[in-house]
Amino acid sequence: MESVIGLHFIDVIIVVVYMIGSLLLGLYCTRFVGSAEDFFIAGKALPFWAIGFSIVTSDIGATDFVAVAGAAYKNGVSAANFDWMGSMPAMVIAAFVFVPYFWRSGVFTIPEFLGRRYNTAVQFINGLIWTVVLFFMLAIMQWLSADKLIHTILGWDPYWTLWITALITGIYTFSGGLTAVVFTDVVQLIVMYVGGLGLLALSVWEVGGWSSLREQVLAKGPEFKDHFTLLLPHDTAGPFPWTGIVFGLGLVMAVAYMSGNQVIVQRTLGARSEWDAKGGMLFGGLLKFFIPLMVALPGLCAIVLVPQLGAENADRAVPEMIRLLMPAGLRGLMFAALFAAMMSHISATLNSTSTIFITDIVGQLRNWSGRRPLKEKTALLLGRITTAILIISTALLAEPIGNREQIYVYMQTILSMFQGPVLAILLLGIIWPRATGYGGLAGLVLGVTFCFILRNTPGLFPSEDPFLFVAWWSFVFALIVTIVVSLLTKREPEEKLRGMVWSSVIRDTDAQEALQERIAQ
Amino acid sequence: MSEMFQAMERVFQTMFQTMGEAVESLCMAVFYPILSRIFGPINTALGMLPNWMAGVCGVGLFVSAMIWVALILDPKYVNHGRPHKSIWTDLRLWTVISMTPHVLVYFYFR
Repeated sequence: MESVIGLHFIDVIIVVVYMIGSLLLGLYCTRFVGSAEDFFIAGKALPFWAIGFSIVTSDIGATDFVAVAGAAYKNGVSAANFDWMGSMPAMVIAAFVFVPYFWRSGVFTIPEFLGRRYNTAVQFINGLIWTVVLFFMLAIMQWLSADKLIHTILGWDPYWTLWITALITGIYTFSGGLTAVVFTDVVQLIVMYVGGLGLLALSVWEVGGWSSLREQVLAKGPEFKDHFTLLLPHDTAGPFPWTGIVFGLGLVMAVAYMSGNQVIVQRTLGARSEWDAKGGMLFGGLLKFFIPLMVALPGLCAIVLVPQLGAENADRAVPEMIRLLMPAGLRGLMFAALFAAMMSHISATLNSTSTIFITDIVGQLRNWSGRRPLKEKTALLLGRITTAILIISTALLAEPIGNREQIYVYMQTILSMFQGPVLAILLLGIIWPRATGYGGLAGLVLGVTFCFILRNTPGLFPSEDPFLFVAWWSFVFALIVTIVVSLLTKREPEEKLRGMVWSSVIRDTDAQEALQERIAQ
Repeated sequence: MSEMFQAMERVFQTMFQTMGEAVESLCMAVFYPILSRIFGPINTALGMLPNWMAGVCGVGLFVSAMIWVALILDPKYVNHGRPHKSIWTDLRLWTVISMTPHVLVYFYFR
């Protein structure tokens, strides 16, 4: 099987025009940046539609296009659960529980919020973990996209791809901050939609329509009988049993991701009003509905059109469909869509990493050493310097880090172990005034320990990789521990909680004023 | 640089592999007998649930989120900061509109 796809001159022109357009749009946004608030949270001026577009593009990377189609080829439509069950309910919970609370508290980052609710050590540790993880993820995603995706499909030199995309995303993120990131995201999602929906339309047309696709796939044998079922039985051999999808993914992992991930939440912190912050989340959920249609369904069509691939080469489903179906011009648009996904993912992570570094690490170190908080202009300058250092250092280290699969696995493992317990203490910290500092600490430490034990005790759950069950049970365990320890320890003083608990912020005007005072400090 | 990373990787891989095996043996010896008594019956009970329960729980998650926002939460809170009073700016309606396609696909692919 031929492995590299050739591009026509017109396709290359489309990709180049797209990249230059993104750069110019990002540079145009520089005129809106005059302070650290403008740089980190877009001066709190983002409308709901831009937030919605940006949340989706920040979430979808170029490798998702290929990996989700591959998963659909192997496991059927159940691969789409991560964008459906794993998004919308969590985005509604984020929109009406977490986002208004974060937005009203006027924070720049999630660790900053945890620092106000618990203490500055929690803020610093959380900020440090996020900075390290995001730094490695940034390097990994740059190399995976440049080498494993673009080089494998197009045969382009991975170093050129890496440095050109790093340079373009670095320049507009450096100059325009979150505003540039969000408005380039809007264009990038439109390009992704045009390319993705074009591939979907051609794929479904080629197999003879939806009914024909269904008949042909089901006729391939008993191993394909569940390819059109979203929620598979609890004891399925595959990785997505319905119990794990509904409880582990829908109620824990997705909520933790949508409410506790700085890259996602930062867009809503930059909203021009609380209504825009909530509306942006809901609009993003609606836009995300179409993502599996663009990335998973072509994978299903590939079962009929390129059956020779087999499960072991399932990740080649999208490239083969592009080669088979897309004429010159459309191919360029599809690759512009892949570059759009790659660049938006990089710029979003870059901006969030520099925000956390300046707010939670530099800010706290200055605070502890008794120095005054950074001035607006200094914070803006440091934010830009951090952005430049981050993109250059991650591009330099992309190959040695990205080529080591173990590092990627460790990063994912660390993140997944914290998700359930962190969500438990975050949720209780917001909705339950009785939750105490000791309760939160015990919930976090014992919850992560329990998660570690579950991950290292094989045979407890039916599926081979039971990460969905582990997330659910570690969340439940951390929730119980936090409640029990909180009830056994001394209640937090009223003063400390004023303006920091959801019910008081939502209903009590005095608490609202206290919150405003804290923001002003 | 590359050689240094390779050497570090080998050291870490060996270290993590040895540690991983030791931790897994410890967990199997100490925790498996206790935890399997808890999760075994839960797995058996979940495995006995009919398949239609999956659809009910899946669709139920979407529908209950819609009901929570549209009927239970205070409308003033839901729409706080609303630019104007047009029905199109009502986030309760947005919630229902953005969740309905999801309910339909879970109903279709059941």
